[in-house]
Amino acid sequence: MTSVLSTSGLFAAPGPGLPEHRATFGPLPVADPVQLTAAAELTGRGGAGFPTAVKLRSVAAAAAAGRRAPVLIGNGAEGEPASAKDAVLLSRAPHLVLDGLAVLARALGAADVVLAAPARLLPGLAARLAERSDGAAVRLHPTGDGFLAGEESALVAAVEGADPLPRSKLVPIRERGVGGRPTLVQNVETLARLALLARGDREAAGRTLVTRRSQVNHAGRTDVVDMPLGTPLGEVLRVDGAVRAVLVGGYHGTWLPAAVAGELPLDRAGLEPVGATLGAGVLAALPTDRCGLRETARVVGYLAASSAGQCGPCLNGLPRIAAALQVLARREAPPPQLLTDLWRWCGLLPDRGACRHPDGTVRLVASALGVFGPELRLHASGRCSATTARPFLPVAGAGR
Amino acid sequence: MTSIAFWYLIRATGLVSLVLMTATIVLGVVVQRQRRLPGLPRFGAVALHRSVSLVSALLLAVHVVTAVVDSYVGIPAVAAVVPFTSGWRPAGIGLGALAVELMVVIVASSLLRGRIPHRLWRAVHWTSYLLWPLAFVHGLMTGTDLGSGWPLVLALGCAAVVGGTTAVAWIGRTSPPAERAPAALASSSAALHHGTHVAVFRNR
Repeated sequence: MTSVLSTSGLFAAPGPGLPEHRATFGPLPVADPVQLTAAAELTGRGGAGFPTAVKLRSVAAAAAAGRRAPVLIGNGAEGEPASAKDAVLLSRAPHLVLDGLAVLARALGAADVVLAAPARLLPGLAARLAERSDGAAVRLHPTGDGFLAGEESALVAAVEGADPLPRSKLVPIRERGVGGRPTLVQNVETLARLALLARGDREAAGRTLVTRRSQVNHAGRTDVVDMPLGTPLGEVLRVDGAVRAVLVGGYHGTWLPAAVAGELPLDRAGLEPVGATLGAGVLAALPTDRCGLRETARVVGYLAASSAGQCGPCLNGLPRIAAALQVLARREAPPPQLLTDLWRWCGLLPDRGACRHPDGTVRLVASALGVFGPELRLHASGRCSATTARPFLPVAGAGR
Repeated sequence: MTSIAFWYLIRATGLVSLVLMTATIVLGVVVQRQRRLPGLPRFGAVALHRSVSLVSALLLAVHVVTAVVDSYVGIPAVAAVVPFTSGWRPAGIGLGALAVELMVVIVASSLLRGRIPHRLWRAVHWTSYLLWPLAFVHGLMTGTDLGSGWPLVLALGCAAVVGGTTAVAWIGRTSPPAERAPAALASSSAALHHGTHVAVFRNR
């Protein structure tokens, strides 16, 4: 069960219902989201961190130029298995998300408003929509649990009724998306923060939700925290002698050694020098009794099987990389050329697919090979520093 | 030109056009299965498929014009495009008219490929499997000496080739994207574990 630790900011309301929401946050004022997001420099919380004001302006411009009303999609798909923040937000503070959708729908003159979320959350969301006077305007769409389900163009395809596969970005979604209309896709956390900004909460854009995964007393623990950007990692996630390495950013993120991770400020300026980004806000502390190579091999195997199967990098590159990592995760000397081949394959993938799946996976693999270099040498001599084979990082949407 | 020369020309262009249509279908399946012709790179098969189909279309145009101009049998010009309006063998000529129109649509869609939506191009291209039987039955019904001898052997041979090629294309259809990633992973893992060379993924 995922718990929420902070009771300020997004989770200030004692319950998910409309009366508690109104009592805690007050009514939703009429607001101009472009001006709000520009002044607060709000960035997207879906993983890419794109400036929201720029996105809003470009969709509004495309709609005006083509004289077609845009479509608005709230993205709660959360295909990343290690992340739980969107599911928790939709369960605990759905009215903030719906407020954000209302503000954008009014400002953009949206023809269609969709909230996409995993099927298990939809009954609760339908009940919340029924409480609102503007609830009938929002259409709920169930998403699958595939890793790519939340990718922008895959989500647009799913909303249109096709297979949830990413599409070419030659004509961007903001110009031609659902039904040929300009489409704005925003992560549900971004929408919730916009709702707080509309009420005059100027700190909302400077905070972010983070999913923490750690091991406490030999049991895995997952929780979601609302923290200010720039907080040192060690203050958010306990990094002590029992932690071997920290995964920052999710399965397209970066492994960092425990010694380095503790002091890093969790924002773009603090993480960029070490080649990391906060991404979807996942922080996982790998315990010392686990093997980093085996965990990475499992995750990359999942990523290779989750690809859309449309482009060469994912069909030819990821399976080889996943198979090579499986070999390296074993306690035996690998074939002599394997590591060289692995680096070569990693170099061939970036910037060559319809989406960033190969790029993100290669970043994870490269950081793993760097951080777990000593582990590689240990395995080559037939040993492993792990004392248990229990998996730490989740895959395939099971057991979040 | 004498009447007999017209007849030879009509018969020759018709038969050769049918043979080239057969070759076009075979080359099209080679392209679909991402195979190569011996000695040529893969884009050679694509280019040949285009060229052969255009030559067969050209021969078809000559075939139609000659049949209309020939005064031995009364085929008005309008019968080349409006089916079943010919004075002579209206049914057979009618099928030919349908085949001509379908050929024009298929060739036009392929020349405009890239400017029309991809799904539209694919849908039109699939109808080329309808074009061949139209041309074949037209030949059987209007070909004055297709009933026996070497023209019949040629036509039946083309039919056998098209039938076999279609079966190969049907059985080897591309797998849907959702199945490809796990299949690629399985074959790569197996190859790497056994130390064999990991082949390029074949989308079959």
